[in-house]
Amino acid sequence: MSMADTLPPDVTGWAEAYLARAPKGDLFAGAGQEMAGHWRTMLDRLSVQAQGDPAVLAGNVERQAVDLGLAFRLTGDQQERPWPLSPVPLLIGSREWTQIERGLTQRAQLLERVISDIYSTQSLVRTGKLPASVITGSPHYWRVMTGSPPPHGHFVHFYAADLARGPEGEWRVLADRVRTPVGVGYALENRLALSRATGDLLGALNVRRLAPFLNALRRGLAADCERSDPRIGLLSPGRFNQSYAEQAHLARYLGLLLVEGEDLIVSDGQLFVRTIQGLKRIDGLWRWMDSRFLDPLAFDGESRIGVPDLFDACVKGGLMLANWPGVGVIESRAMAAFLPQLAQEMLGADLILPNIATWWCGQSAERAHVADAMGELVVGSAFDRDVAGLTGTRFLPGSAMDEAQRTALLNAMARRPMDYVGQEVVRLSTTPAIVNGQMIPLPFTLRVFVARDELGQWRIMPGAFARLAAHGDIRAALMGEGDLSADMCVLDGKPVPQDGLSAVAAAPTIRRVGGMLPAKAADNLYWLGRYIERTEMTARVIRAIVGGSIEADLGPAVESSTMARLTGQLALWGATSGTAGTVGPLCAQALGDGSQPGSVRSLMTAVAGIGEGLRDRLAVDYWRLVRLPLPDFDGGATETLLEASSRMIERISALSGLAAENMGRTEGWRFHDMGRRMERAINGCRLAMLFGAEGASADDLTVLLDLNDSQISYRNRYLSGPALAPVRDLVALEPQNPRSIVYQAQRLAEHVAALPTLHTDGMPEEPQRLAAVLAAGLAPLTGDMLTMDDLRDTEIRLLGLSDAIGQRYFLQRRKEKSEGVSLLS
Amino acid sequence: MIYHIRHQTIVHYDALVQLARFNLRLRPAPWPGQWTSDYHLAVDPAPSSIESRPSAWPVHVARLEIDSLLHQIVIESSFRAGIQDSAPIEPQDDDPIIAAVAQAALEARDMGSAGPAQFLHASPRVPLLPQIGAWAGDLLASDRPIVGAALALARRIKGAFAYVSGATDAMTPVEDAFAARHGVCQDFAHVMVAALRWFGLPAAYVSGYLRTDPPPGMPRLVGADAMHAWVMLWCGPTRGWIGFDPTNGVIAGDGHVFVAMGRDYADVAPMDGLFVGGSGQNVKVMVDVMPEEEET
Repeated sequence: MSMADTLPPDVTGWAEAYLARAPKGDLFAGAGQEMAGHWRTMLDRLSVQAQGDPAVLAGNVERQAVDLGLAFRLTGDQQERPWPLSPVPLLIGSREWTQIERGLTQRAQLLERVISDIYSTQSLVRTGKLPASVITGSPHYWRVMTGSPPPHGHFVHFYAADLARGPEGEWRVLADRVRTPVGVGYALENRLALSRATGDLLGALNVRRLAPFLNALRRGLAADCERSDPRIGLLSPGRFNQSYAEQAHLARYLGLLLVEGEDLIVSDGQLFVRTIQGLKRIDGLWRWMDSRFLDPLAFDGESRIGVPDLFDACVKGGLMLANWPGVGVIESRAMAAFLPQLAQEMLGADLILPNIATWWCGQSAERAHVADAMGELVVGSAFDRDVAGLTGTRFLPGSAMDEAQRTALLNAMARRPMDYVGQEVVRLSTTPAIVNGQMIPLPFTLRVFVARDELGQWRIMPGAFARLAAHGDIRAALMGEGDLSADMCVLDGKPVPQDGLSAVAAAPTIRRVGGMLPAKAADNLYWLGRYIERTEMTARVIRAIVGGSIEADLGPAVESSTMARLTGQLALWGATSGTAGTVGPLCAQALGDGSQPGSVRSLMTAVAGIGEGLRDRLAVDYWRLVRLPLPDFDGGATETLLEASSRMIERISALSGLAAENMGRTEGWRFHDMGRRMERAINGCRLAMLFGAEGASADDLTVLLDLNDSQISYRNRYLSGPALAPVRDLVALEPQNPRSIVYQAQRLAEHVAALPTLHTDGMPEEPQRLAAVLAAGLAPLTGDMLTMDDLRDTEIRLLGLSDAIGQRYFLQRRKEKSEGVSLLS
Repeated sequence: MIYHIRHQTIVHYDALVQLARFNLRLRPAPWPGQWTSDYHLAVDPAPSSIESRPSAWPVHVARLEIDSLLHQIVIESSFRAGIQDSAPIEPQDDDPIIAAVAQAALEARDMGSAGPAQFLHASPRVPLLPQIGAWAGDLLASDRPIVGAALALARRIKGAFAYVSGATDAMTPVEDAFAARHGVCQDFAHVMVAALRWFGLPAAYVSGYLRTDPPPGMPRLVGADAMHAWVMLWCGPTRGWIGFDPTNGVIAGDGHVFVAMGRDYADVAPMDGLFVGGSGQNVKVMVDVMPEEEET
């Protein structure tokens, strides 16, 4: 009995229905017998899994993408968008792939040699093989790099090529990319989402794995560093960059330190990262920012995201910087016009994988050809700049121009011919995709990734970032509005070996510490803790107001003075704009009004913002909880407010649980925990002064116990109702109560004592001294002797300790941090 | 002509700042037809280090580091410069036409720091603007001899633009200065560079000094009381680089002392770098360019 016999009738129809509508040259429809069989196997299995409904399959994959935290921004987006992933991967057979691998290896060799020539002897220009203007026209050409070759002679470590497949199955290079390898992280995550959503399908198809490529890339970066066990950073432009999520993911995957310019400092020509242990040497950087931003003193003086004197670290200090500054010069369309001849010149061979035919108009004959054949060509900006005649676009098919446009373009070309190229029109073959629950053919391009391994040899990632075009122009950015991405799978004829130690030349040395902590990450973790704790306490105050313990224990006659203190505290924290009005709307404001800086919504936005800068350090589960939307509530119905504030408290408890059970006991964990302890202790002092003063009512004391989550502890110790001295002792001074002030003080003292010291003489640093004094001051006190002055004094000491921690461990002059201070302390 | 040049800059900051690391581009780079000697740089407070740095262009870059916080910095740069005696450059009948120069620039196989191809394209501070191209278009027709055409353009800029010091600053975009038809030497030079490049000609931005007092019977040039800026245009392999001063509507002569040449102001800015603790600042500049024989 074949598989099909057991299926409902509509389940086997995917392949046939698709073939009926697929155009000539489609990846599936045009496949040979063997590959077509694989396509059918895959589609049948996907169909079975989805009960025959393409929308179900799309939904499954989409859920995995959301779970992985996949997201992206288009230029100008403030918020991240959900990741558009088509659930049907592209399949390419090993024979076709081998040709692509050979072609890309050859191109990588060629690009490396051309770049090397440009920044050393310029023999290509001097002998007339490459016009000077093709180099100088590129905004990515940095003449200052001339004569400063990279330490191991490797200008390019990482290279990505955008490939187009024509209807006859012919592959062409649309663009060579060496500045930033955007897309490789997404390709990796697409594969992860797909394999999670499709069970053992990829294994059954003998799909080649991506991991060996990334391991090779990591080893290739390390091999060019000076020290044998190098520290390598991934240099990010920051969390507002379009591909920040991708950078964080890759840094984590590869075990690189995710750093931004302000984390780094160059001293005496060597690069260091600012950590809580002081400056630590960095041996290599994988940069995800353009050369111009790297060093404001050597490249673009306006850059605010670079590292002053990084140039020195490169040319004098032996820093491995991948890719080397200035390599972007080979990305231009003008350069593409010369690569076929340069391959002949420098490699003595034709390009195995040619780029689309390109004519640079800086040469008279080529310009004449472009002018004559304009109707059949696309005219493009030679250096990807805005140029006259192509305003607002970087390329335009001649056939789409009217007479006036064409004349204007020809005039502009006569003035500055070097700014233009003509290119053949690209025709793309299609691949199956699911759009609106239907399987349809969509044109695609592939971004394929190439990297050096530890021997300097080129490796090709057996997979790609596939972009499926919804409409319009596919040559611009990574993704356009409405486009889909997809995984691309290379199929082997035989089972693929599992990754394991055998795949790696030498097993890494076992390590147990979590690596060192950059000062900025420590800063972020600390403030993440403080904001989370403040969120919890705000939610607790809201819950106390809308009917927690007070009513349950004492009936509805809550003293209005207690209520006034509660609403007053919300206003003081900036959660509400004042205390006027009824309880419902006030609490609704404190929960959900984003214009109030201290509302739960604003605090959680701040938490998410800080958390985004820590993506490489936070577990996916943690990150997902942080980003959950606020629970629903209605200001007119207090039970919904009660429910919502309780949900928030539970959510924070879940975060605490994750931190307690799942975070490694690294210094990062200590900073996160210190943030929570600090905030809890400061709040503890304020609330104890507010609700535990002389003459506090029973309601006041009940609220104080409730806000400290200490009701049950109190009842376990005392039979009578709340009385002042015992309550004070429990919430402020009992070392066994994990909510008490003294408990926080002791934990803070332990944390700072365990942090690395910069002193070599054994003397305590300022935070250690202050924390020890703080804890010691509270230890001898009991509830009956505690005064308001003691609490006030403790609060001042806590603020002093927080400042000392910031001074000692964090980067100074940070904007975000100073805002954080003004909001929280 | 031999000149003694003294250039003092006093920057006063409203609050304490840390100058940390900064670049000075005050020492003349080598340039054909000009020699310099006795260069001296004095900085107060004293820097912890001064090093010269590589530059992509004919620019001398000194990197300074100052560790202490400061309210005021005084920079004094002085040197002797000699300019070769030769007949003033003037348009000639056999000057190459614009189309020929543009074509020669495309064919030049020179990747040197003053190679024409380096100055053909838009640069960070000089985008190619159609409005400037249109405004200069009639002067830069492809069949016009290049030196005469460029001089006419320099004169047109001098005539059409008001020299208003303080109306623009170092960061003013060229399109704003062009729209307002006013500015200082920097703006005029940027406009001229943008116009020339629009027509495919290699044009560079030059910083330097003007002789403070004119020779007897000659008018005093505008811009002599501070560092000056003008334009270099590559006029083909035979004529080479020729200076045009759009602030004064003249071809640069033996009253123009060359300091640095780059694609635009950013490449030759006299001082830039990292300032920590930004606050208001007040800059005083004094420049003295004295012919040597007058001193003795």
